Amino acid sequence: MPSIHKSYHVTKNDFIHAGEASIHVKNLLKSMNYESDLVRRIAICGYEAEMNLVMHGGDGELSVNVSADKVIIEVADKGPGIPDVALAMQEGYSTAKDEYREMGFGAGMGLPNMKKNSDEMSVTSELGHGTNVTMVFYCKG
Amino acid sequence: MEDGKNAPRHCFIHFEHHMCMGCSLCVKRCPTRAIRVRNGKATIKHSLCIGCGECIRICESGAITASTSELNSLNSDKITIALVSPVLYSQFPGVLPRDILQGLKNMGFTHAVDMSYYFEMFQWATAEYISRNRKTGESPWPLISPVCPVVLRLIVCRFPILLPHVHPIMRPVALMARDVMTQFKMHYGVEDQDIVLYYINPCPSKMGIPKKELEKAGQTEGLHSTGALGINDIYAELSRQIKQFEKNDKIPFAKAGFEFEQCTSGGGLLWSMTGGEAEATGLDKILAVAGLTETITYLEKIELGLFNDLEYIEFRTCREGCIGGALNAIDKYLAKSAALKMAKTLGVGTRLNRERVLRLYDNNWFFPKITPQALNAMGIQKERTFSFEELSMLEKIVGIIDGKSCGACGSPDCRTFAEDLLRDEASPDDCVYLKIRGITKEDILNKVKLNTD
Repeated sequence: MPSIHKSYHVTKNDFIHAGEASIHVKNLLKSMNYESDLVRRIAICGYEAEMNLVMHGGDGELSVNVSADKVIIEVADKGPGIPDVALAMQEGYSTAKDEYREMGFGAGMGLPNMKKNSDEMSVTSELGHGTNVTMVFYCKG
Repeated sequence: MEDGKNAPRHCFIHFEHHMCMGCSLCVKRCPTRAIRVRNGKATIKHSLCIGCGECIRICESGAITASTSELNSLNSDKITIALVSPVLYSQFPGVLPRDILQGLKNMGFTHAVDMSYYFEMFQWATAEYISRNRKTGESPWPLISPVCPVVLRLIVCRFPILLPHVHPIMRPVALMARDVMTQFKMHYGVEDQDIVLYYINPCPSKMGIPKKELEKAGQTEGLHSTGALGINDIYAELSRQIKQFEKNDKIPFAKAGFEFEQCTSGGGLLWSMTGGEAEATGLDKILAVAGLTETITYLEKIELGLFNDLEYIEFRTCREGCIGGALNAIDKYLAKSAALKMAKTLGVGTRLNRERVLRLYDNNWFFPKITPQALNAMGIQKERTFSFEELSMLEKIVGIIDGKSCGACGSPDCRTFAEDLLRDEASPDDCVYLKIRGITKEDILNKVKLNTD
């Protein structure tokens, strides 16, 4: 089955370019006529994931694999890792620095929002080594 | 590509081919990639044109004009009505709006109707819709203002995901056209065809949708067959009229026969500038964005789920708002200064009250029979889409070209040129990078296929 693979580098603290990878992914899917609601969900999740890299993860990669029946987004960083993944998945739990909160980020809705808008999501994290997030989105048959 | 005055469906701009130098400036500027230079002359796909006027602004040889209506009904036996965008007032610094309206009548219009009355209607209805939407959640936040028609067409063409965000209240100009038509028909006891509406406005995109198209879409009332005139079409003649009577022939404010014929308030003038509409809603969670690039950037971000803490965003694709429209007669900063001064002179009172507007609101007066999205979608195409195979071929073709998106081929960039090649709308000979290496279409197809196998 044909598929397209793209990978984007996301830089820590680079708020100026944050969101560009998600915009690329979104526009790629739009140019392939994927269904509106699917593209919207992927765009939201991609952006949340990208912001997590910018704020917490340090430099990382956002990659996307597009095929006819599903879209997979994988986000990997070599940042500090998440001590308690279950806790981080709770709405409102945030470890964002005050300066990020002042910019309107860090409301503790990132991971929960990704969970809500993706069809499958898995988070694996190792303290001191980094975090991997995989999200799967199925296209309606 | 279809082109010229006889193009099917809507047609916002027109190329004077003998004046076109084939320079590609307009090709690169167009936000929907609708223009190409082929055989040394610019051509346009009208189905992709959103009427933003950017090409008119950037053309150095004056080869691009807006397709406005002929003003040929003035001396006929029809009742001709000028529907006036308040931007017109900003074009005559120091002249009172009522004198400008009188100038239009002296030009031969039977009536000149000011739009600010319908701005007030629109803003009351908008405040009501937003307050109800807080409870019902019918539309997603942020609502996108439907006032700028270019924004609506941009959304249809490039951001269809955002269509549910479009504020579903009829645009002020549509409210105005419908109401004016109804009231004058009753007043004169005549039929639709005896009245001709001319919308005098600053942008190429407000051409009336032909009545036949409306009927096809099941819309038999609400919007009327309306002519559109650019402000620059009538500016010279109107200036002459105003100079003639300015000192001695003023109509007193109270003499206006219809409520909507009364002159503008300062509020109407503020609407012609960015932020005017947002300010008029009286809400906190609002934002006003002006400029084409800026609008596109914000629409991209709304698609990423941002700004959902805002309730309403006013977009205008022209810098500084409608006073920056491509069909104005004087510069936008001069116009802005004139409009601000006049708004101060007139004050910003309101004429309508909430109860009255609410009655109309609950009778569905503000809601179009068919949605503005559907109306706007009638003439506008979505951007091209591609299959997996085509996308991988496109990337390879861009690699083979190995160019600098110079635009010499007549397409806006290498990627779009590759799309045009793929769809047989361009030849490798158009590209200097391919031509210099003697690469033909067969060579490209062979290479692309070899890599696939």
